[in-house]
Formats: sequence, structure tokens, C-alpha cells
Amino acid sequence: MKLNRREFLSLAGKSAAGAVIFAACGLPEKELIVQSPVEMPEDLVKGEDQWYATTMGDFPGGDGIIVRIMEGRAKKIEGNPDHPITQGKSNARYDSALQMLYHPDRIREPLSRYSKGGNLNGISWTRAIKEFKDALNTGGNMTLVTNPLRGHPGSIASKFASHYGGVHINFDPIEQGILHKTVENIFDQKSLPHLDIGNAKSIMSFGADWLSTWVSPVQYSRFYGSFRSQSDRGYFIHVDPRMSMTAANADLWLPVKPSYEGDLALGIARIIVEEKLTSEINIEAYKKYLSPGFLNGYQLRDVSHRTGLPEEKIKKAAHIISEKTPAIVFGGGSTEAHTNGSFNLRAVYGLNILLGSVGVTGGVLPNPSSEIDDLPASSSGASMKEWEEELSHWRAGNVDTVIIRGVDLAHGLPNFLGIAEALNNVKNVIVFSTFEDDTTELADLVLPDSTFLESWGTDIPEPAPGYLVLSVQQPVVVSNSRGFADVLLEVSEEAIGSTQENMITSTITTLQKTGTGSVKASNSRLYKKGIQQRGGWWNTNYSGNISGSYRESSKTGEISTFSKTNSLGEGTEFHLIPFVSNSLLNGQLAPTPWAQQNPDPMSTVAWVTWAELNKSEADELNIDEGDILLIKSTSGEIEALAYPHPGVQPGTICIPTGQGNSKKGRYAENRGSNVFAILADKKDSETGALAWAATKVVVQRSGRNKKVAKFEGTVEARPIEPGVPVLVLGSGETADEAITANHHIYQNQFLNNSHADTGVSHKDDETKTDH
Amino acid sequence: MTTNKTGKQNWGMVVDVDKCTGCQACVLACQSENNVPINTQERFERGRAISWIRVERYWEGNYPDVKARFIPIMCQHCENAPCEPVCPVYATYHNSEGLNVQVYNRCVGTRYCANGCPFTVRFFNYWEPVWPESFRNHLNPDVTVRSRGIMEKCSFCVQRIRRGVRTAKKENRDLIDGEIQTACSQACPTSALVFGDLNDNNSAVSKMKHDERTYKLLPHLNLDQNVVYLAKVDPEKKIESHSVESGSHD
Repeated sequence: MKLNRREFLSLAGKSAAGAVIFAACGLPEKELIVQSPVEMPEDLVKGEDQWYATTMGDFPGGDGIIVRIMEGRAKKIEGNPDHPITQGKSNARYDSALQMLYHPDRIREPLSRYSKGGNLNGISWTRAIKEFKDALNTGGNMTLVTNPLRGHPGSIASKFASHYGGVHINFDPIEQGILHKTVENIFDQKSLPHLDIGNAKSIMSFGADWLSTWVSPVQYSRFYGSFRSQSDRGYFIHVDPRMSMTAANADLWLPVKPSYEGDLALGIARIIVEEKLTSEINIEAYKKYLSPGFLNGYQLRDVSHRTGLPEEKIKKAAHIISEKTPAIVFGGGSTEAHTNGSFNLRAVYGLNILLGSVGVTGGVLPNPSSEIDDLPASSSGASMKEWEEELSHWRAGNVDTVIIRGVDLAHGLPNFLGIAEALNNVKNVIVFSTFEDDTTELADLVLPDSTFLESWGTDIPEPAPGYLVLSVQQPVVVSNSRGFADVLLEVSEEAIGSTQENMITSTITTLQKTGTGSVKASNSRLYKKGIQQRGGWWNTNYSGNISGSYRESSKTGEISTFSKTNSLGEGTEFHLIPFVSNSLLNGQLAPTPWAQQNPDPMSTVAWVTWAELNKSEADELNIDEGDILLIKSTSGEIEALAYPHPGVQPGTICIPTGQGNSKKGRYAENRGSNVFAILADKKDSETGALAWAATKVVVQRSGRNKKVAKFEGTVEARPIEPGVPVLVLGSGETADEAITANHHIYQNQFLNNSHADTGVSHKDDETKTDH
Repeated sequence: MTTNKTGKQNWGMVVDVDKCTGCQACVLACQSENNVPINTQERFERGRAISWIRVERYWEGNYPDVKARFIPIMCQHCENAPCEPVCPVYATYHNSEGLNVQVYNRCVGTRYCANGCPFTVRFFNYWEPVWPESFRNHLNPDVTVRSRGIMEKCSFCVQRIRRGVRTAKKENRDLIDGEIQTACSQACPTSALVFGDLNDNNSAVSKMKHDERTYKLLPHLNLDQNVVYLAKVDPEKKIESHSVESGSHD
């Protein structure tokens, strides 16, 4: 660039643009930026940003988002204010997903292995597509495995599998098949129903960590905000052996013995029926739902004994949900992850019939099934029983080609299934992945997959907010990566469709013809643009029907069976309850440093795998924080750092998912342990779903100890008064009254020179409260 | 609509502790918006993690009657800020809009301000922030990347305020309540964090701050913070009645 000295200095002195020009000339930028002492970049508005609406594809919930773009680069992800699911809100995972896009360890080119056990070598896309086609054209059996997909990606995957005479199965390490089946049976709903939490007066949830990771946490958290804002503040009961983030927000937490959640639900039902706490109509409807005499085994005393909960608390829960109506009762998570999981959920969701909560505002409301171009509106992972069957075919060499996409199968399946051995017997293992992971280690051909910020797609949020929603995903940055669905279309030589964008455009044209929904436009081009600008299409008038009657004969309650630990040597036996990590999920976000360093809401631990066990029990066993524990099951052994937790039921040990990856980039590789690996071979007796909370383990101390990376203790507590870190009001109490009362309590302690238990845990002294 | 013209706001935040679920959405939204360095495992282990907003979790009671309480803490933007007079180089000062402002290129890293702050919301950069080259793509160009030796803290997303004010000025109108949101209040899925102009009597924050659950942290220090809290409600809490004999309080 030609510039004389005078022009050069003039430009540089006038603005920050000088710095850009200098940098372009190869001069060091640092020396040339001249800032006014008080005018920092924060004070200046530089450049225009653009916000594009799209969808958090491949993450559960179908959340609508907006992405801030400056100079072609994605800078921030936020909830889409227009979108019915998010309404501008987000969670701790949105921005982490941004780092997937710019991760330095992404797979940049297709990789091929010349022979099983050999190294992966970079190849061109042309050659990769040829190898893909060659694998399909061998004529053998084919299986396509994906994460649970809805919308166009789900439709394309299924059509692709059918086109080649193969099967398409979904994988979800935390199975929700029982939930879907229960909902279908009780409410006659293919998709999960709309839980109208925001308008309920009381909520009782079982196992599901719905404010953190379960099903649609952003949507549910929004509802929770409304629930707490009502003039008659809603009452919330949560049932869970572990104090999860959701349990921590409950007004009443019931730490039930694992697998006895169904007993508790029926015990509560019996109290409501016996004491006539609900209307005769509701009781009659409930009786039709149950087998005659079904509640006979659920006397309060027996239920209290089995569940480990005091009688008065069970009674209190029964009175609250029947008196503070409309009430919603729902469950999932560890409640369905036992050998009696189906029974548990049937008992839990059945309470809605008894409370008259089906089809009413503040209760369980219908969601429509999708009638848009036959796009799948609901999806869940195949059961463990189905997986065992499928893997037996792989192991026997009956399947020539396995295509895996969006799941780290080798990380998510328990050791007892022998996935590595099964894949070694498959001739062609083709894996779509953004990062190298445990599954790509077993692949013959690895195809780099684009992130949701680079590709087209649609999703039908599940659960929808009571009406039909189609979330549209569009590329928001320029990228030369290729999306999974588009590669399938290319490989199939347009037998299914040309490109995903064209297929989505065709669906949009269909929507326009209906003349309904959130977008109005004079022509198809503007209509499509309108949908892209809003992040999707929704029709608030399009809902569905809901019933509350069970369509199968009710089965009696049963006691869950657990794996045996007899042969595992010395140690203390615990009941293992895995839980989904708030930041890493099941490992999808493990590659990103933001997800790795985001403290767990309860333990505040980051970067490592920890094991939560009851604090008093840990003291008895001489287990200190940071002790490296060996956790053994019949399926294997892992290590985790001990974290004594005041809110875990004695006899249980709780471990987060997501870590223990042999690859996944520099931030995740060989970090922590994979709890899925040690799950025992236990299944729900009715559906064959993996009973992932039915594993017994033996815990031993390794004799080693490591400092736990956690946020807790980084800063001192800042109390209102000494010993009062968070001001808590009783019903009807004002802040001034509570502060005065707290002051008196403290003053009395001080004057009496005694530190009576104020209920707050102390670290060093009364002003340093442990948090 | 605001009652004040652009440039005459007093920015403040109301934190409804009863709605905070502890989900950490605010923490990551802030980190992303403000180019807060990646907190490596070593930083956590050495107690030097930087978090402009943090969610503190307190345990109360013992199992099974244990409770966990969450409270988000960020710079309280005190009108009588103890961090301001101790700075020997005027790197931190109070502006006319209620913001406690940190001027990075004045800061010489004495850390006096951190010592003076009773809320521990000021963080010192012990190390140069490191991002792999490709992660630099997602850095916010509106926000300075702080170097080693510099103090940093919550700015109430002043870059968003400037952008919002400029937009309103360009369109020749007053600011609309809710138009400017900090990254944390934008993200908060339960709307526990609400940001706005305390000078505007009709703004959401102005209305909320008159709630009978309102309190401020460390009230006896008379810091006159611009962050106001609404207390947690626990229907299970037994309200203690205190007799006059047990000690008077005025």
C-alpha cells in the first residue's frame, strides 16, 4: 500500500483505524494504539454487529437462539427473544457450544484407516465420499446410529437407512424411552406433553433434574421463574436420593431410597384417596386407571419404612399437592433408571389423574404431533435390550457397514456390552464427528462433521410449549465444513433429496400454503426470509388433545433388583447414581474449556471427576475431600476424587457424566473418569431400558489424595450478619423483620459467648461461611 | 419510557434470590461477553479463578434437613465504594451513571482496591490470559483483553450500555426499559437478575426495589450499592420471635 509519511501519521493519530492500517502494513499493532486514559474499547462503539436466529441443533430441547456475528465471526450465543421455547433466555451450555466452532483440535479433513488397527490418515473429501459409497455398495447390511434426531436431520437419516435397506437407531446414554412410553400410555401423547409449571400452584417432581439438564431446562427454568412470581408463591416438592440443583430449589426435598419412588407416589395416592383430599370424580377416574385393590400394599407406615422417609413428610406432601391445585406431578432421570423404572413412572404420572391435573391450565397440557411433511417430532434412544440385540449382529459379522453420527458410542455404552469387539467385527465403520473420540478410535473412515452453527437443519422442540413449533437452523458463519445430512444426500446421489436447504425450503413452502402460523409474507422468498429471521415457525392455534387414562393393564409394584458386588473384594458397598453434568452433559461439551471450567452448581467442582457421598458417612469411613477413591462394579473400575456432600443419602455415591474421554481435544483428553463404563447389566423389567441407577459398587480408598479443583472457598462469604450469608424469609416475613431477628440471634450468641447452631456450616469463624 | 434523557441514568440491578436456581448461566454468559480468561484447573486449585459474577452456594442444616442456598454476587457498584479512594492512580472511579468503573490502562496492580472491597468481586490477573489462536475468533471486540498485572471486575457490561445509548441517540428517542441488558441478566432463565435504570420510576428495577423482600449486602457498611437483593422465601422456615429482654436493636 502506498502512503506518504504525512498521510500515514495523520491517519494514525486520528483514530484506531490507524492501528488496523499499520497492522496491515506489517508494523507491530501494540506500539501504535493510542488510547485516551478514560476511553477504553468499552466506551467506544466499534463496528456494526449482526444477530442471526438459528437453533441449538444436536442439543436436547430444540432451543431457539440468536448468534452475534462481527466481521464474519461468531461472538456470542443468546436465547432468541422471539422463540417460544427460550424467549431470550439461555443456560450454561450455550456459549460453550461456541467454542466447539472455533476449537483448535477439530477434525479438519476426512481420515481413513488402511486396515483395522492401523493409523488414521488424512484424505480428500472426494476420496472419502468414494470410500463411503463403496462401503454402501457392497450390498451387506447397514446400520445408521445417531443421537435422537427430530425434524429434517431425523427424517433424512431414516430415509437414508431405508434407501440402503438398513436400520436407523438412536443412542442416548441416559435413556428416556420409559418416559416416552409412559407418557404415551397415560396421556395418549406421542410427544412429551406441555407441563404448565408457570401456572401451577404446586409441583412434585421425581428424580428429574429439570432445572439443570432434564429434557428442556431453559423452557422449564422460565416456567419456574413464573411459578415463583405468583402472588400465591407456588410450593415445590422434589423427590431424589441426591440433592441435585433442582432438589436444592425445592421447598421440601424428600431423599427417597433409590428405586422406591413409585412406592412413595402410590403411598401419597392412598392418603389422598383415604382422606378424600380430592374430588370424587378424580378418585373415580384414578380407580379406573388402577387395578382394583392396587393401593392395598401402600399403607403410610409401610411406605415410610420402604422409602426411608418420615410419615409426617409423606403426609405433608400429599396434603400440599392436593390442596394447592392445580398441581403437576412428573418425573424421570434416576426414577426411571431402575429395574422397576416403568412401574415408578406409571405411579408418578398417574397422580395427575388423581389430582385432576390432566388438560387443565397449570397442569399437564397436550402437545401436537407434527404434521409437517412427516417430520419426526419425538425421538428417544433405543433400549439397552435393543442395543444388545443389535451388537450381537455386529459381533457375528452380520452387519457390513455401521455409520455413527452425533454420539460417542464407545464412551456412552457400558463396558459389559463390549462395543470395541463388536465394531472390530464390522467391515466398514464410518463415523461422523467434530472431534476425535473413543468411537473414532474404532472407525475405518472418519468424516469431520460441521457444528450446528455451520449447517442447515430443523428441529421440532420436545416438549413443545403447547402448540406446534418448527425451529429452523441455518449456517451463521461461512465454513467449508460439511454437515452430516448433506453428506448423506450427496452419497445417496439425491435419491432422497438434493440438499438439506432445498428440503427445508420445500417444507417452508408447504407451511406458507397453510396460511397459518407466525410468519406472513407476500411471496415465498420473503416468507422463507421471515422464518429465518424469527428462527422458525409456530402456530399457537395448533395444539392437540390429551386424555388421562391408562391403556394397558396396570401392573403391580415390584422391588428393583440391583447388581451384585460380592466378588469385588474389600471395601464399602454403595449404590451408584450417575447424574448428567450441568456443563458437559454426557460428554458432548467436554472438548470446550468453558464447559470444563464451569463450576458444578452443587459441589462447585470443575475440570475433574468427583464422587459425592454423604458427609457424615464419609467422616465415619475416614474419607476426606480429595481422597482418590476406587469405585468398582462387576463391569469395571474407575477413580474419582471424594467430595463429601451434605445432601446425599447415606449408602449412595453420585458421580457426574461427561469425563473419561481418551480423546476429544486438549482440554478433555484423559481427564477424569467415565461413569458409563462401570454400569452393570441391569434393565427395566418391562421395556428392557438400561437401569443406569441400579448398579452397586464397592468403594475403596486408594491411599492417594489430590486437591479438588473447585470454586468453593475461593472467596470469603459476605454475610448480611455474621453467620447469615443468604437472607431467608418465612411466609409473610419482610426483609427488615428477618434482618432484625437474625441480628438478635447473633447478638444473643455473642453475649452468651456461645456459638449455638444457627444451621449454617462454618469454615473458620462465623464470618467465613463455607460456600 | 424513561423519565430521563439519555446519559442521565443510574444503572442498577435487582437480584431475586428466590428465583436463582444456581444454574451458572449468568457466569458463562458474563465470561463470554467480557473476555474473562479461561479458568484452568491450576487457577481453581490455587484459588485464583476469575469470575466477575459468581453463584455462591451455602449449606444450611444437616442431612436430611439440609438446605442449599444460592446467591449470585457481582460488583455491587457502590455509591460509597471503598475500592475507589484507595487507588493511588485513579484507575477506579465512580461515574455519573452509577457505575464503578475500572480503567485498565491506568491500573498499576497495587491490589489495594481488592483489599478494600468487602465483596471480593475484584480479580487480579496473576497470569497473561491465554487463548489458542482459533479461540480469539470469539473474543468480544468491544471489550479489552486484560493483561497480566491488571485488576478487573464486573462493569455492568458498559459496552452494552454504550451501544444501547448510541442506538437510542441515533433514533432520537429515550431509552426503553429493558432495552439494555447485561449479559448475565439476559441469560438468566428464571429472570432472577433484572437490570435497568434506577432513576426511572417506571422501570422494572425501580418497582422491584420497593418490594418488602428488599435488602442489601452488608448494610452496616453504608456502601449504598446499586445492586439490590430480594430475599429467599422458605415456607418451611420457622419465624423466630425475639423478646425485648434478649437484646434490643435499633
